[in-house]
Amino acid sequence: MSIRLQLLMVALTTLVLPWAGCQYARELETALRDSQEQSLLASAGTMANALSAQPQRVFRDPDDTAAFSAARGDLYVYPLHSQPLLDGYREDWGVAADPTPLPTTTGYAARVQAGADGRYLYLYIEVDDTHFDAEPGDVHPEHDRFDRIDLTMQRQDGTRGSYFFATGAQGPIAAQRIVHGGNDRDEATEEPRIQAYWLQTSAGYHVEARIPSSFVGSRLWIEAQDGRGNGKAGADSIDTPDGGRLFFTTEGLNGLLGTFIRGGTRATVIDTNALKLGVAGNVSADLPGDPDEKAESWYRYFMAVDTSSFPQQSSEPGRLAGNSVTAALAGQPHAEWVRGPGTQELLLTAAAPIMIDGRTRGAVFLEQAGDQLLVLRDRAVSRLFNFTLLATAASVIVMFGFATWISLRIGRLRDAAESAVSSDGKIRLDMPESAGTDEIGALSRGFERLLARLNEHTQYLRTLGGKLSHELRTPLTIVRSSLDNLESEGLRDDQRHYVTRARDGTQRLQSILSALGAAARVEESIKQAEVVNFDLRELLSSAIAAYRDGFPQAHIALETPPDPCFIRGAPDLLVQLLDKLIENAVDFCPAAGVITVRLERTMGNYALQVQNDGPPIPLALHGRLFESLFEQRQDRDDKPHFGLGLYIVRLVAEFHGGTAVADNRADGGGAIFTVTLPLI
Amino acid sequence: MKKSIAIVEDEPALRENYAAALARHGYTIKTYANRKTAMQAFSAHLPDLAIIDISLEDEAEGGFDLCRDLRALSAELPIIFLTARDSELDAVSGLRLGADDFLTKDVSLPHLAARVAALFRRIDALRRPGNAAEVVRRGALSIDAERMQTTWNGTPVTLSLTEFWIVHALARNPGHVKNRQQLMDAANVVLDDNTITSHVKRMRRKFQQIDPAFDAIQTVYGMGYRWVE
Repeated sequence: MSIRLQLLMVALTTLVLPWAGCQYARELETALRDSQEQSLLASAGTMANALSAQPQRVFRDPDDTAAFSAARGDLYVYPLHSQPLLDGYREDWGVAADPTPLPTTTGYAARVQAGADGRYLYLYIEVDDTHFDAEPGDVHPEHDRFDRIDLTMQRQDGTRGSYFFATGAQGPIAAQRIVHGGNDRDEATEEPRIQAYWLQTSAGYHVEARIPSSFVGSRLWIEAQDGRGNGKAGADSIDTPDGGRLFFTTEGLNGLLGTFIRGGTRATVIDTNALKLGVAGNVSADLPGDPDEKAESWYRYFMAVDTSSFPQQSSEPGRLAGNSVTAALAGQPHAEWVRGPGTQELLLTAAAPIMIDGRTRGAVFLEQAGDQLLVLRDRAVSRLFNFTLLATAASVIVMFGFATWISLRIGRLRDAAESAVSSDGKIRLDMPESAGTDEIGALSRGFERLLARLNEHTQYLRTLGGKLSHELRTPLTIVRSSLDNLESEGLRDDQRHYVTRARDGTQRLQSILSALGAAARVEESIKQAEVVNFDLRELLSSAIAAYRDGFPQAHIALETPPDPCFIRGAPDLLVQLLDKLIENAVDFCPAAGVITVRLERTMGNYALQVQNDGPPIPLALHGRLFESLFEQRQDRDDKPHFGLGLYIVRLVAEFHGGTAVADNRADGGGAIFTVTLPLI
Repeated sequence: MKKSIAIVEDEPALRENYAAALARHGYTIKTYANRKTAMQAFSAHLPDLAIIDISLEDEAEGGFDLCRDLRALSAELPIIFLTARDSELDAVSGLRLGADDFLTKDVSLPHLAARVAALFRRIDALRRPGNAAEVVRRGALSIDAERMQTTWNGTPVTLSLTEFWIVHALARNPGHVKNRQQLMDAANVVLDDNTITSHVKRMRRKFQQIDPAFDAIQTVYGMGYRWVE
């Protein structure tokens, strides 16, 4: 993996910043949530205290602590915000709750719902009776051969009034009041102040009745009877002396609560039965914020606090439920996060008990939308997110640029290191980046030191041959002159062998020394070479003639252009070049092989080729053959080889501004050495 | 009377070997290890011939200085440089300082003795009246083998002993190619090819100083040289 990629990966770790931001935002949300809880709880407590100081405004009857019992026929009277039309339908009441079934022992089903708008009590009674028994017209309370609904109400002063609803046909009716006649028989008289509407349906009938408040106390009995005696539902005041209680909301409490609350909060006061006494405010306040806030909140998906475990708020319209309510009615203030009824909307609820004379008489229940928090958090997080993403992007770009710069420098250094030792063994001592003060600069300087030492070593090796040949010459001369003297002193024949052998040895040493110093001598003679214009073709033909004499075993062919080929150069050096190429070709050419020397005029150059039959040059050696001191020969012969021959070829070729290349013949049956020499 | 030869050579073994070989040929030998002792002796008494090594003890070019001083003492005294160095530059410097010959230490003792003998012969010949029979004439060239003197169009050409023998070998058989080995044999000297080449170059230059049109020594590449008339 390249450094650039590595640093890029490192740069990606800055993505931890947005992650940390999310964590922070989550913490922030929790803290905000806590503080919202505390503040709402405090508000609830304050309200509860304020309300407990004026119980008569909170409770219809502050002393009434009766418990709600649906089995007894207790009814919660829903507050109605508008006067409903008497039409037998309750849809215009605006009450979400279903009617309450009346207690029955006969399987006769009837359901009832109560509402009040301040002036009237409304009753809605729904009876399942598929057979309508019409009232015949001689309405009499003792007669019960028709479908009827009996209603007994206990007034504030304790007196009771009994009424019944019956009709011959669907339509508006008035209640019949039951009065005790003189002969101990009850009489029915129409009570026009109690209006009702009898609606016949496929399942039975509905009665929607409107009763002035003055008729109403806190208790009532409702009984629905079938005209054919098939059953009844509900209770009458004779069999059950305690009728169903009516639980009213407190008049004026809504307004009172309204003075306490702020926007976005809903306050509900409940009694000990958790029935609502008054409600004010609205949880869905207008939230400040941009309309496109939602679009930015995609990151909620992976950072939002999990709310699915929050309890669902009860959806009963007249009554509250939940942990907060339970706790508050037990005397403990409590706050809780819930999900709105039927939605995922977050709500914060807080409840505080209303204590009167040390007893819990009810509770204040506050609700607030939790979304406010989300909006606040989202705004903070989106900013944080944008900043950190920007920072991440910036750092990635900077890292990338930096990495590019670093890898460029290292690349330059690498290129320089790779080409520091040129093919002719010369060493370039200066490295790029060596002025850098960092590790790369140090590395570069390290390379420079290394190359300097390598150069010293190479120089030493380069001159070693010359030095050796020079230094060994004197001792060799001593040996040889001593042998000369020894011979002159007169030797016996048997001694003469040894002298001859010693002389042969010195002769070989001599040729070795000569070969060792050859490159140095050529370099020196190149320095002193005189350049003249001459005919290369003529030089070739005379030289090849000499080689044919010199190497009688070799077959040397010469191919030249028909006309003279003048070049500018040093003919002696070129003859040496040719010497080396021919010697090389002869060494590798098999006995019956042919050596071809060819001179061609090419684009701007003369190409001098020496081809020989024989083994091809191994591929790996192509570039190195012309290097100084490079020698790779399988067979060793008497002649010393120091790998200088082809080096000399290159020196001479380069002196003439040309090149020397080695290649294999296309058929693989030999080698080609090509020297190019520029035209004049 | 025996000829006296002074050998100035700092390598004792070599010095003694040379001395022994030359003594065997009937010369009186004086040996010196450095320039100082040699110069002291020379100021008192000049030898008939001096063989000088170029580097003497701690003086890398002591032989050159000695040659210069000796030449100042005597213009005719034959001087041979004998050295382990074989660079072109040294040979040129030595000959320019007035040495009669420049030999590398590769030379064998019999060759050295032949050189010495030749030099003495040249000196003796110069002192005797001329012997026309020994003179080779090739056009403008005339070579007196006895005196080892060469003239071109009557003008003397100052050649070193090696150069003289090379010219002599070439001019005796005009048109014949002499290879390097033949030239070396003729000159009684062991030289590498480059040195022969530079000797030939130097000779050409010397002739060309007298006659810029001189072109008698021809290179036959890869083979050697020939004299053309």
